[in-house]
Amino acid sequence: MERDLSVGTAWLVVLAVIAKSDEPIHGYEIGRRLSDEAPTGLSFKQGTLYPMLRAMESEGLVRSSLTPSTEGPARKCYVLTADGRRVLAAWVNTWRCASRWLNRIIGGSHATE
Amino acid sequence: MQPSDPEDRHAVIKAYLARLGAELADCDAALRHDALIDAEVHLRAAVQAGASPQRAIDDFGSPEEVARAFREVDGTPFGTPRRSPTTTGPVPGTEAAPSTTAQTATSHTAGAASADASGPARPRGFAALPIVGVWARPTAWGALLYFGIVGFALAMAYFVWSITIGSIAFGLLPTLLGLPLFVALLGSARALCLFEGRVVESLLGVRMPRRTQPMEVANDIGFWQRIWCWLRDTRSWLSLAYLIGNFPVSVAAFAATVTLVAFGTSLLITPVVSLLGYPMMTFEIGNAPLSMAAGIAVLTATLWFVTALGWVYGHVVQAIQVARPEPIRRHKTPPFNPTPSLQPNEGTVHAAHH
Repeated sequence: MERDLSVGTAWLVVLAVIAKSDEPIHGYEIGRRLSDEAPTGLSFKQGTLYPMLRAMESEGLVRSSLTPSTEGPARKCYVLTADGRRVLAAWVNTWRCASRWLNRIIGGSHATE
Repeated sequence: MQPSDPEDRHAVIKAYLARLGAELADCDAALRHDALIDAEVHLRAAVQAGASPQRAIDDFGSPEEVARAFREVDGTPFGTPRRSPTTTGPVPGTEAAPSTTAQTATSHTAGAASADASGPARPRGFAALPIVGVWARPTAWGALLYFGIVGFALAMAYFVWSITIGSIAFGLLPTLLGLPLFVALLGSARALCLFEGRVVESLLGVRMPRRTQPMEVANDIGFWQRIWCWLRDTRSWLSLAYLIGNFPVSVAAFAATVTLVAFGTSLLITPVVSLLGYPMMTFEIGNAPLSMAAGIAVLTATLWFVTALGWVYGHVVQAIQVARPEPIRRHKTPPFNPTPSLQPNEGTVHAAHH
């Protein structure tokens, strides 16, 4: 059975992928990396990425620019803003705390992390 | 079997886009435009990277899933999410989940978002009152600013630019210098219309698309073919027509707005000015309440007038910006027959033909 990621988790992983990229990254590449990394049983529909990216841009977390492509129409590429980096760092911290707490509650191999 | 011919792949993607457009039919035109552009660029990138069209579509999500995601996250007039996690943090399970595996998203959430996606948020508080609520609506004051000052000044500038450059271009046509000048005029008209869209969005509250439309295989065409494409593009001519035709309309709107504001204000302040000892024509102090009430009524009617005019104006500009260009083709190809590659049992998209 497929499970859902929460809105916050999806935003976190998208911001993390953008942050890891050395150069501005476009939506297709973000979606491809997320799909490649998705564990079994957890799918990520790449089309749902775009409204999320727009929302992030509205919130000032990412900045976009159109980049000419040799493989078709110009692509919208994204980089993290200073606010985006700050929010990502805060979320990563929150996530790790929540993860440790969850692991302690449910038990498991990472319970003592 | 997957379509191997570029035209076949193009047809599969177009069929998917048609279904996505149908799913978003009740949404704002700019939102629908943005969703279609995003989908088209993504699917083309996936196919260019080696994926089959059907695989690219499977990874991208069904039209229903993608439409639901756009409604949910991008449903407000300016792309601001109805709910974003920036204040709550990424704690799992604290919110609904529209962004992944959207088939499990709850229907009531999508329904609520649908109302948001089809237009601006409903006014609340004083702004929700039937007639006088217009005084508390930002779009009314934005429209007053637009039709009273900004729109008129911009329309005049657009008109002078278009007429001046257009006249010089036509005059220079026999020397062939006019042609590039005319093409430059068309390009500037497109750019100015995009700028006008941003002004209209900020003041009149009508959402404009965030992306311009892609032009298929545009990177592979030559300079002259690109110019020819610009000349054939509906948006170029609509933009130029807007810049020229907008001027007389803006003059009329400016005159009506300023007259109404001046008239309403004069009715409102006449009793005050009279009490201060300044002589006023045909005014008796006993008529003060009536005069002030009439002034408020005229100003209220003015705010409604500019709000309604702003809605029409905004949607005209939006319609220009969401106009799609004709596809560019490097080679003449025979008309595509979708039947062989769009069989339902081959897993390709077919619903768009209905």
